[in-house]
Amino acid sequence: MTSARRAPGRVAVHLLLWGYAVVALLPLVVMLLNSLRPTGEIFTAPLRLPTSPTLHSYLKVWTDASFSTYFLNSLIVTGGAVLIGTAVSALAAYPLARHDFFGSRFLGAYFLAGLMLPIRLGLVPIFYLMDSMGLIDSLLGLTLLYAASGVPFCVFVLSAFYRSLPGELDEAARLDGAGEFRIFGQIMLPLVRPALASVTLFQFVPLWHEFLYPLVLLRSDEKFTIPRGLSQFFGEYTTDWSALFAGLVLATAPLFVLFVLATKQIIAGLTAGMSK
Amino acid sequence: MNPTLGENERNCGPKGSLMKRRWIAGAIGVLAVALAACAPGGGASDQGDKAGADKVTLSLWSWRVEDVKAYEKILAKFEESHPKIHVEFKPFQATEYNNILATGLSSSGGPDVAQLRAYGGLQPLVEADQLLPLDGKVEALSGFDAKLLEGSKGHTDGKIYGVPFAYQTLQVLYNKKLFSDNGIEVPATWDDMIAAAKKLKAAGITPFAVAAGPDATWTLPITHEIFGNARYGSTAFRDALVKGEKKFTDPDFTASVKLIKDLEPYFPKDVVAVKIPDVQALFVTGKAAMYPTGTFDLAPVLAADPSLELGIFQVPPPPGSPVTTPVTPGWADGSFGVNAKSAHQAEALELVKWMATPEFGQLYATELKQLSAVPGVTPSDPLLAEMAKNYAGNGAPYTLLVNFRYGQPNGDAVFRDEVQKMLTGQTDPEAVAASVQKGVEQWFKPGN
Amino acid sequence: MVQARELSVPRRRAARTGARRRYAPRWRVLAVFLLPALLLYSVFIVYPLVSALDYSFFEWRGIRQTGFAGLGNYRDLLSVYPYDQQLWRAFGHNALFFGGTMLIQNTVGLLFALLLFRYGRGKRFLQAAFTTPYLVDPLVVGYLWSLLLNPTFGPVNALLDAVGLDSWALPWLGDTRTALPIVILVNAWQWVGFPMLMFSAALAGIPAEYHEAARVDGASAWQAFRRVTLPLLTPAIGVVSVLTFIGNFNAFGLVYAMAGSSGSPAGSTDVLGLLFYRVGFVEGGVEAIGRSSALAVLMFVFIFGVSLLATSYFRRRERRLV
Repeated sequence: MTSARRAPGRVAVHLLLWGYAVVALLPLVVMLLNSLRPTGEIFTAPLRLPTSPTLHSYLKVWTDASFSTYFLNSLIVTGGAVLIGTAVSALAAYPLARHDFFGSRFLGAYFLAGLMLPIRLGLVPIFYLMDSMGLIDSLLGLTLLYAASGVPFCVFVLSAFYRSLPGELDEAARLDGAGEFRIFGQIMLPLVRPALASVTLFQFVPLWHEFLYPLVLLRSDEKFTIPRGLSQFFGEYTTDWSALFAGLVLATAPLFVLFVLATKQIIAGLTAGMSK
Repeated sequence: MNPTLGENERNCGPKGSLMKRRWIAGAIGVLAVALAACAPGGGASDQGDKAGADKVTLSLWSWRVEDVKAYEKILAKFEESHPKIHVEFKPFQATEYNNILATGLSSSGGPDVAQLRAYGGLQPLVEADQLLPLDGKVEALSGFDAKLLEGSKGHTDGKIYGVPFAYQTLQVLYNKKLFSDNGIEVPATWDDMIAAAKKLKAAGITPFAVAAGPDATWTLPITHEIFGNARYGSTAFRDALVKGEKKFTDPDFTASVKLIKDLEPYFPKDVVAVKIPDVQALFVTGKAAMYPTGTFDLAPVLAADPSLELGIFQVPPPPGSPVTTPVTPGWADGSFGVNAKSAHQAEALELVKWMATPEFGQLYATELKQLSAVPGVTPSDPLLAEMAKNYAGNGAPYTLLVNFRYGQPNGDAVFRDEVQKMLTGQTDPEAVAASVQKGVEQWFKPGN
Repeated sequence: MVQARELSVPRRRAARTGARRRYAPRWRVLAVFLLPALLLYSVFIVYPLVSALDYSFFEWRGIRQTGFAGLGNYRDLLSVYPYDQQLWRAFGHNALFFGGTMLIQNTVGLLFALLLFRYGRGKRFLQAAFTTPYLVDPLVVGYLWSLLLNPTFGPVNALLDAVGLDSWALPWLGDTRTALPIVILVNAWQWVGFPMLMFSAALAGIPAEYHEAARVDGASAWQAFRRVTLPLLTPAIGVVSVLTFIGNFNAFGLVYAMAGSSGSPAGSTDVLGLLFYRVGFVEGGVEAIGRSSALAVLMFVFIFGVSLLATSYFRRRERRLV
C-alpha cells in the first residue's frame, strides 16, 4: 500500500473508467449527430460530424407527428403506472421480507412467478380481459396493466432491501409501542429510499419504450403513447432516417431527466448509508 | 360496461368456461377501476354511433402504414358515389398486424372491412370463422385471374374470403447507365448474364444487390425464385409436388438451390451480414448494377433517387432447365374481406364490391404504384406495365409461398434458414432440399 | 477468516433475534399491506397468463379452440421438425448467454462499483455514463450497433483497417462464430449499469466500521474484499444473478434487433424468446397459439424452478454469512 505502488494503479483506474465512459456514450452521440443532418448524408457518411447541422427533423417530428400529445399520454400512463406499481409493491414487500406468517413463502413465490413469463404470451388473454372491462382504447387500462406488470420486479428487489436492514430497527420500535404502519412509514420507507429510486427507474424505462401493448390496446390517435405514435410516424416516413433519429432522441430525452433525478436520490441514499 | 353488445352476444372468446372466468376477473377489475377513477380515459367508444343518424362509418384496417395518404384519396372517391358511408382507414404496424387483426375481429370496436394476408396467412382467420365468405356476394370476382384468387381462398373449404387488391412479380431491376458505361446488354442467355456479372465485378461494381443478413432472410426465397424458378421446372414442378409425384429432393430443385451458391461471388462481400438498407443504398448510389427483387421495391428505389434510369429483365433460364423460356414468378399480395361480426355488413359489402371495380383498381395502381389485381387495369408506369405483361405471358408460382405455407413449419421459413446456412458454408444444396422436404412433410399431405 | 467471523457477530445476533424468527402482525394489518398489490397483480398479470398457459392444452384453429389436446402441443414441440432441433439449440444459446453475461456484465459491474465506491470527482458523471445505454430502447441499441459493426460501411472495421489490423476485421454479426458473443457484449454494454447500481447500493449499506476493522487488522485490499466485502454482498449477488438468469432466458428485444427473428446468421444466435416469437407470431400457422403457449409453459417451468432453487440457495448463504 505504498504510494509508489498506488500511483500507476490510480492512473490505470482513471483510464479504465473514463475510457469506458467513452465506449458507453459514443453510440448515443452517433444517434444525436444523425438527427441533426439530412437523410442523404446519413447514408453516405453516417458517422462523421454533420456538415451543416439543422433542427429541421425535430420540427417535423414535433408538428407532423403531434409529438406533444404522445408525450403527455406517455407521461400520464408511465408516470401513473410507476407510482401505483411502486406504492403497492413497497407495501407488499415489507411484510413479505420482515414477517413470518402463514403463506409468506408461498406469496413470495407467487409474486416471483410473474417475472418469468414472456410478456407476449399474455397478449391474447389480456386483450379479451380489457375488452370485457371496456378498457380498449383507454389510457386507464394501459396504466393499470403497466402498473401490474411492474409489481413482481419491485416486490422482488424491495424485499431484498428490506431484508438487508438490521433486525434491531423494528424490534426496538415495536418495544417502544410503535404500530406496523408507523414502523413502515417512518423507519423502513426512508431507509429503502435509494432502492425505491432504483426500482422506479428500472420500471419506468421499459414501460416508456413499451410498444406491443399500446399497439394492440389503443385505437385512436389522440390516445397514442410515444412508441405507438412514433411507429405510426416512422411507418409513414419509412425512408426519413433523420426524422427517425430525431424522434428517438426526443423519445429518450425525458428518460435522461428522470435518470438524473433518480440518481440524485440513489446517490443521496448511498452517501447517507456511508456516513451511518 | 359496454353500450353496444350484451354479455351473451360477445361470445367471441376462445371458449365458454373461459368467458365465465373472464367475467369474474372483469368484475374484480371494475373494483380496481373504481379505485383509480380519477385517471383519464374511458370505455371503448363506438365511433359509428356518433355519426349522423343514417350515415354509417366503416372501419377499414390495414398493415400499410405508409399508404395512409393514398388510401384517404382513394376512399374519398368511394364516399363521393356512396354518400351514406364514411370509411375510416386504420393502419397498424405490419409486423404485428396478424395478431391485432385476429383479436380485433373477435372484439367490439373491430374492423368492418380488413386487409387480409394471402394464402397460408389467411387460414387462421378462416378456420376461426372470423370472415364472411364472398362467394355469390361479389359477382365481379368471377372475372379475376384464378391464380390470384387462390390467395384469398380457404384452404379446406375453397370459399373466397377477400377481393384481391394487388399482386407482386419478381424480376431483376438494373441500372441502365451502369450497363451502358460497362458496355453490357440486357442478357439473353444465362451465360451472358454471368459474363456481365464478371465484367461488372472486375470494374469494382457489385453485380447483384442481394442481402442475406438478419432482416433479409425472407428475401432469400425470392432470390431463389428469380434465378431458379425455371431451373426447378416452374408451374409443372409445382403441380407435381402438390400431387405428390415429385419431392423437393428432386435433382432439378436441388440444382436450382445450388444456383444461389454459384452466384454468391457476385453478391456483396459477406452477404450474410448485409442488410436490406445496405443493398438498397448500394443499388441507388450506383455501386451495384442489378437488384433482383419484387414489384414492391420499385417505388422505394425511385423515391430514394428519382433520377435513376431503371430497366427490368427476366432471368434467362439456366443451363439444364426443364423450362426454356424466361419466367416471371408472382403471387397475390392480399385481399380485402368482411368481418363476420360486422354490425354494418351490407355497407361493408358495398365497399368490397367497389374494390373489385376497375375504378378502384385504376386508382390503386396510380396512387400506390403497384400492380392492381382487378382485371383490365393497366398501369401507366412503363416499368410496371412491362412487369404486368411479363406476368400475363410467363407467370409462374412462387411455390414455397403459394403452396407451402399452410402448416407449421412453413416451407418458406425452413428454406430461408437453410439457404442462409448454405451461404455460411454449413450445409450444401442437397441438404437444403432435404430439410425443406422434411419440414413440409410434418403437415403436408399430397393431393390437397 | 478470523476477522470475518468476529466481524459478523453483531449481524448474526441480529439475524437470530430479529430478522428471522419474527413477529407476525394481525391479518387485518397484513391485508392492508398485501391486498392492493395482490389484486392488481392477480387481475392484470396472473389471470391472463394462467389463461395463456391453459391454452397450451387445447387444439387451435387460428383463434378458435377446437378441442382438448392434452399434451399434444408439447409432443409436437419436441418431435416436429425443425422445432425439435431448434428448441435445444436455442436452449444452449440461452445458457451461453447467461454464462457470458454473468462473466462479463456482472463482473464488470461489480468492478465498476468497487472502483467508484471511494472515487472522488466525476463519480456521479461516470455512474450516469455507464447507466445511460440502459435508457435507450433495446431495438435502437441493436440498430446502432449493427450500424457500427456493418462490414461494408461500419467504422469498427474501418478503424481496424486504419491501424493495420485488417485481418481482425470480421463480418461480426455475419459470422456464425462471432455473432452470439457480439450480442452478449452489446447486451452487457446496455445493462452493465444495473449490476453496478445494485452493487453500489449494497456496498454503501455495509457499515463503515467493518471496513475500518479490516484495515486496522492490516488486511490487504484483496483480503478485505474477499473476506469482508464479498460475503456481505451475497444478497445483492443473489438478486443480480437471479434477475440476470430470468432476463437472459427471456431475452428477445436486442437479439431480435441484431439478428432478426430467425437468429441470423444460420440460427447461431437463436434463443428461446425468438423461437417463441416465430412459432406464435411469425410463421402464422393455424396451430400457432397452442404450440407457442406450450413453449412458454416449458420456459416458465424451467426458469421458475431454477430461480426458486437459486433464491433459496442464496437465502441460505445469506443466513450463514451475514
